[in-house]
Order: sequence, then structure tokens, then C-alpha cells
Amino acid sequence: MQPMDQRELMTLQHYLKEYGQQAEIFVSQLDMLENGRMEAHAAIEALEALRESEDAVVLLQIGGGASVRAKVLEPDKILLSIGAEVVVERSNKDAVEYLKERLIEMEASQKRVSETLNHLQSQMNEINKRLESGYQQSAAANQDQD
Amino acid sequence: MFGGLKEKLQAARNRLGSSIQGSAAAQAPPAAETKPGKAPQPAASQKTPSPAAPSFTDKVKILIVDRELVVSEKDLAEALSELEMTLLECDVALQVTDAIIASVRTTLIGKHRKIGSSIDDLVVGALKSALLEVLGTGFDLVQYIKTHPHPVKILFTGVNGTGKTTTIAKIGFFLKKQGFTVVIGAGDTYRAGAIEQIGVHAERIGIKIIQHQEGADPSAVLFDTVQYAVSHKIDVVLADTAGRFHTKSNLMNQLEKIKRVMKPDLVVYVDEAVAGNDAVVRAAEFERTVGADAVVLTKADMDSRGGAAISIAHTIGKPLMFLGTGQGYDDIIPFDPVQVVEELLGSDA
Repeated sequence: MQPMDQRELMTLQHYLKEYGQQAEIFVSQLDMLENGRMEAHAAIEALEALRESEDAVVLLQIGGGASVRAKVLEPDKILLSIGAEVVVERSNKDAVEYLKERLIEMEASQKRVSETLNHLQSQMNEINKRLESGYQQSAAANQDQD
Repeated sequence: MFGGLKEKLQAARNRLGSSIQGSAAAQAPPAAETKPGKAPQPAASQKTPSPAAPSFTDKVKILIVDRELVVSEKDLAEALSELEMTLLECDVALQVTDAIIASVRTTLIGKHRKIGSSIDDLVVGALKSALLEVLGTGFDLVQYIKTHPHPVKILFTGVNGTGKTTTIAKIGFFLKKQGFTVVIGAGDTYRAGAIEQIGVHAERIGIKIIQHQEGADPSAVLFDTVQYAVSHKIDVVLADTAGRFHTKSNLMNQLEKIKRVMKPDLVVYVDEAVAGNDAVVRAAEFERTVGADAVVLTKADMDSRGGAAISIAHTIGKPLMFLGTGQGYDDIIPFDPVQVVEELLGSDA
């Protein structure tokens, strides 16, 4: 069997490196989406608890593991960042609804990014296989020469 | 692409339509109450010959069809406010949202409309013209190259990690398919592996690349690329540069030097659509500091909101040239505002 050309091996290594870099970007996007999703979940829980609470008292974290009890002055007026650097005032219920919609959007985005990442990983596996067989062919050719 | 925006615009379109419908219903009763005998004119205006005497329903229908409906600000206030929220939620920049709302308001309010004409057509027409106003005319690169002296030198700039190098390869591939000869200058001598990366792309798509060692002066690389293009009668020079933030003054000075040395015909700003409003803000900063003639947005297939694509041309006053839509070299589409609007407002629009 003819050993794989060194140039082809190098090109495959470049492809692998490039795909690896792209995969890293997608992984960091997935992380960002997951963080956003967790934050939205936490906000929904907090808003729902605030709505059910009678005295609107919450624990306000002030750093260093310390918290104070704080009374929310207007528990039904939520300031919500909706995008394009715009903050609007919404009722508690509307804010929860908006955050739930955002959750659905983020989950759909996560699905799309995951699919792309899987596709990229399968391409990387293919390249890895070809590289492996290229290395084996080179090693066999070297043994024959010895 | 832009699925979320499309869905929300559909909802806004229905909302606007039903607001006008509600207004029509409110204005219609007086006509319906008119006795059939007192309305000979509208009935006569009906051209279709009718051998039998028109029924009461027919006459009422004719009266409503021939009446004119005046859309008032009050009718649309709520629907326009919802449209505003929808656009902002999709990361459409505030000033662009304002422009769209103002355009829709001007088109719809105070105009006399035949009740019989399709309300949906009316709403879609208003939304379409508002979107087309903010999207601008796009940028036909092929036409530009055909009508300018060769080599046409295109310099690509932008922040790190947005897919600039891959975009250059895609545009190179696109131009090659259009029958142009292309040379790429590996001007990103700063990022480790960037020269190798663009070298691999160039080899795969069969385009000549001019490169120096890592750490070399990018102005020198790009000057050599232009010289090569001139001596070999190449049509287009695509110049890669290192990603940079507009706040890094040393890198911005380097970009100024590149511009002085290679004298680009076009400076193209590349950013990712998924960055939303951040991409718009950054593009505006780049345009202010180094200037840009056109914009390319990458990863548009991942962007459900579409805010950057809608906002960028209107905000920075420069056209959108291409949208990157995937991993393959073919996955780049020339930005066509009419096509985007058709896509957003549905094929039946």
C-alpha cells in the first residue's frame, strides 16, 4: 500500500485544528446559552415567589456570602431588559411570560448549535480516522525500508 | 434564518390587521343601517350585470365595499406599540425600531382605504415598505467589480473571532464562481495559526495566496499582494487582517497604515449576526474610526432574532453585502433586501 503523502497529512492536521477551533467557539456559545437559560429560570422562580409572597420581603445578596432582608417596594413593577439595550416596565405576570418565551428561544438555539457541533465532531472523527490510517501507512512504509 | 423575527412579525401583522378590521367594523354599521332603497348610486356603480333584483345582503355588501375607511391613530396605537416591543425584543436597534414604526404609522394612518380592499395586503404593504426603507439597497459586489478598475482591492476588518478569515475564503469562492480571478493577502500576521488557516482555505478553493512569516508587517504582506495582482492582471484582491477592537489604539493605527499602503477600494466590516445589537454598536464604532463601505454578517443561520441584519444598514449608513449561513464555502448569500423582506413576511406577502 502506498503511504499517504506528507503534504496530505499536514493538510488533514490543519483541517483538524481549524475544526477544533470552530468547535471551541460553538462550545462557548452553548455555555453562554446555558448560562442565560439558568438565569432566566432563576428569575422566573424569584418572580413567581415574589408574586405569592405576602410581605414582598426578599433576601438581597450583598457579596461575601452576606445577605440582608429587603422589602420590594413595587413587587408588580418589573424592569425588564428586552433587547437592543432597552429596558421596559412590565407586570410580574408579563415579565414571567416574557422570560418563558426567551427560555423557549434559547432552547431552540441550543438545539441548533448542538446539531452544528455534532456535525463538526463527526467531521473531526472522519479526519482523525484518515490521519490514523495515514500514520499507520507511513509507519509500515518505514518498517519496510528498514 | 431569522425564524423568531419572522414568527413575531407574522403575529404583529395579524394584530395590525385585526385592529384595522375592528375599526372597519366600527365604521360599517351606519352603512348597514341605510335602507336599501336609499342607495341607488353604489348599486348602480356595480358593473356586473344582475338580472335578478339585488338582495338586501348584496346591497349592504356593495355599500360597505364602496365606503371608504379612514384608519385613525387611535385604531392602531395598541398594535403599533406591540410591534415596537416585538422589534425591540428581536434586538432591532431603538432608532431603527422608531423608523419602522414611524413609516408604518405614516403609511396606514389617515389614509382613506376602501373597506373592500384586503386589509392584510394593506398591512403587509406598510410593513414591507418600512422594512425596505431601513434595510437600504444592499451592495452588489459583482457589479461593483465589473464597473471598477482592476484589481479591486477589498480590505476586511472586524473584531476577533467573528469568522473573518472563513468569510474571505467564502467570498473568494463566490467570486471565482462568478468568473473573476482572485488573490488573497494573509494580512493577519498576529494571531497564531491564522496564516496556516487561510492558506488551507486558499488551497482548498484553488486561489493564490500571498503570505509572509508570522509577526511580519501586515502592510508589507498586503502591498506585495496588490503588486502580485497588478503584475498578474488579477481582478480582485481580498485582504485579511487581524481581528481588533476599536478601542486598541495601536491596532487601529496599524489598520490606518494598511489603508495608506494598499489603498483599498472597499473596506468591509465583518461581524456575527448572533451578536445582535452589539454587532450594530461595534460596526458604528468601526465606521466612525476607520470607515467601512459595506458590512458582512456571519452566522446568520444561527440568528433567530435578525436584529443586527435589520438594524445595521440604517444605523451606520452603510449597506449589508453578504450573509454567512453555514460551514461550507457555498454558505454565503449576497444580501438582497427584497428577498429578505419577502422571506420575513411570508411567501404570500
